[in-house]
Amino acid sequence: MEEFLQFTLGGVSTGMIYAAIGLSLVLIWRGTRILNFSQGGMAMFTTYVALTVINHTGNYWAGFGVALAAGLVLGAVLERLVIRPVESKPPMNGVIVTIGLLIFIEGLAGIIYGAQYRSFPPAFSITGLRVGGVALGVSWNGVFTAVAVLAAALALAAAFRYTSVGLRLRATAFNPAVARLLGVRIGRVLTLGWALAGLFGALAGVLVTPSTFLYPNSMDSIFVLGFTAAVIGGLDSPAGAVAGGLILGVVLAYAGGYLGSDLVPLFGLAALAVVLMLRPSGLFSVSATRRV
Amino acid sequence: MTDPAANDTPANDTPVNGTGPNGAAALAVDGIVSGYGGVTVLDGVSVSARPGTITAVLGANGAGKTTLLRTISGVVKPRLGRILVGGADLARRRPEDIARAGVAHVPEGQGVITELTVEENLRLGALSRGDRASRAAALSDAYRRFPVLAERRRRAAATLSGGERQILVIARALMAAPRVLLLDEPSLGLAPRMVAQVMDLIRRLRDDTGLTVLLVEQNARSALGIADQGLVLNLGKVVAEDDAASLAADVGLRRHYLGF
Repeated sequence: MEEFLQFTLGGVSTGMIYAAIGLSLVLIWRGTRILNFSQGGMAMFTTYVALTVINHTGNYWAGFGVALAAGLVLGAVLERLVIRPVESKPPMNGVIVTIGLLIFIEGLAGIIYGAQYRSFPPAFSITGLRVGGVALGVSWNGVFTAVAVLAAALALAAAFRYTSVGLRLRATAFNPAVARLLGVRIGRVLTLGWALAGLFGALAGVLVTPSTFLYPNSMDSIFVLGFTAAVIGGLDSPAGAVAGGLILGVVLAYAGGYLGSDLVPLFGLAALAVVLMLRPSGLFSVSATRRV
Repeated sequence: MTDPAANDTPANDTPVNGTGPNGAAALAVDGIVSGYGGVTVLDGVSVSARPGTITAVLGANGAGKTTLLRTISGVVKPRLGRILVGGADLARRRPEDIARAGVAHVPEGQGVITELTVEENLRLGALSRGDRASRAAALSDAYRRFPVLAERRRRAAATLSGGERQILVIARALMAAPRVLLLDEPSLGLAPRMVAQVMDLIRRLRDDTGLTVLLVEQNARSALGIADQGLVLNLGKVVAEDDAASLAADVGLRRHYLGF
């Protein structure tokens, strides 16, 4: 029973990392119908930036803040310069560009920072918490991870629902042609979507890197699981990405805990396959058909 | 054929909403050649609409009526020609810039964003306005003018009937206080009674607000019933252009091009 609790809580915490990456992918997919294969690479890069700031200032939160800001800027700049030319082209162009971007970012990180594994500080203690003698399987840092991503996701949902900017983002995602006719500046909206995606990626990066160590490929496997989370939840649904992340995190924690960590990738694949067979548009997709 | 009524009523020549070198026209389309890919759909089309009038754009399927509206609103870029609104040539600008210049296009099939609520659809229409106060005023104006929308403000737009959706998209287009309203087949798919209501609504908008309307319609009889002038397109060219009453009275024209 204690094991079950540990796996569940640990899985929730890791799951929120997948949720953050999944959210980034959904934000970009909804607006531009492009799958951003470089999302993990972007997160890795902003984590390197954070590490540089932390090492220079000795202040973790300065690094944390700079990483988030860098994520915003990186996302916006990439959309404007690299992605804008392929937004109106066939989807394969976008795939090739984002894969190329991933290779470029990982190579650039290797050149600037070198390929050696670096350690990255956690925000809070990583000692396992105990309540009344029971090991919870999660640390304060793990709790912070879950809370930070959840808070960011809720803030995003509130912004979508209650602000004009959020309305523009949603309208552009649902029906860009009509949004343009109403005067919405689609270009700026898409840039904002990418900036927000960069933000969530950066958040995922600083939260997970303490356990993975930092090196140019450190976010690759996280990206794959974040992508899986997004597909499980439904690529059109931000709430789905969060739910998908949680489900995946917990399922993988049980698989790894009860059956052995070798089986984790297999179970990730199995989860993806099951969802695609039973409900291909994702567990939380809004509708199977779109009325025009 | 030029509109003979223009010389009889000098008051109509008075510019209402900022007109340009073309004198009294709120909208002047001049020699438009446009199409899709290698196919030319409009082959030298010119239209001129005075402020506060309804111009019916008629013709069979494939004549180019929808392409004309899409060229004016910027969805399709013309190869040749000018589109003058308020003195500025809007041809080849981006659709969102043309919308912000005061041209509202309600496309065929309405374009209700079904995933949003009625109120969100309306608010979206007002976002190009600068400040919150004018957006809020536009929203309460819309609810006052269209009570059916006020009753359904919080409902998902997907739950609206065809007629209600048509009213919603017209109301949404008006939220930005456009000078020119382009309506593409507003009667499509509506029951006859609803068609009459929508046509009446358009007529009242022209009467009350001085809006300039370009009305594309297959239902030529209803359109000519409220229009001031009309033009008939066939195979991308204007084959007839006259005031609405004369067009409606021309039996040969009606039978040949308009189906009644």
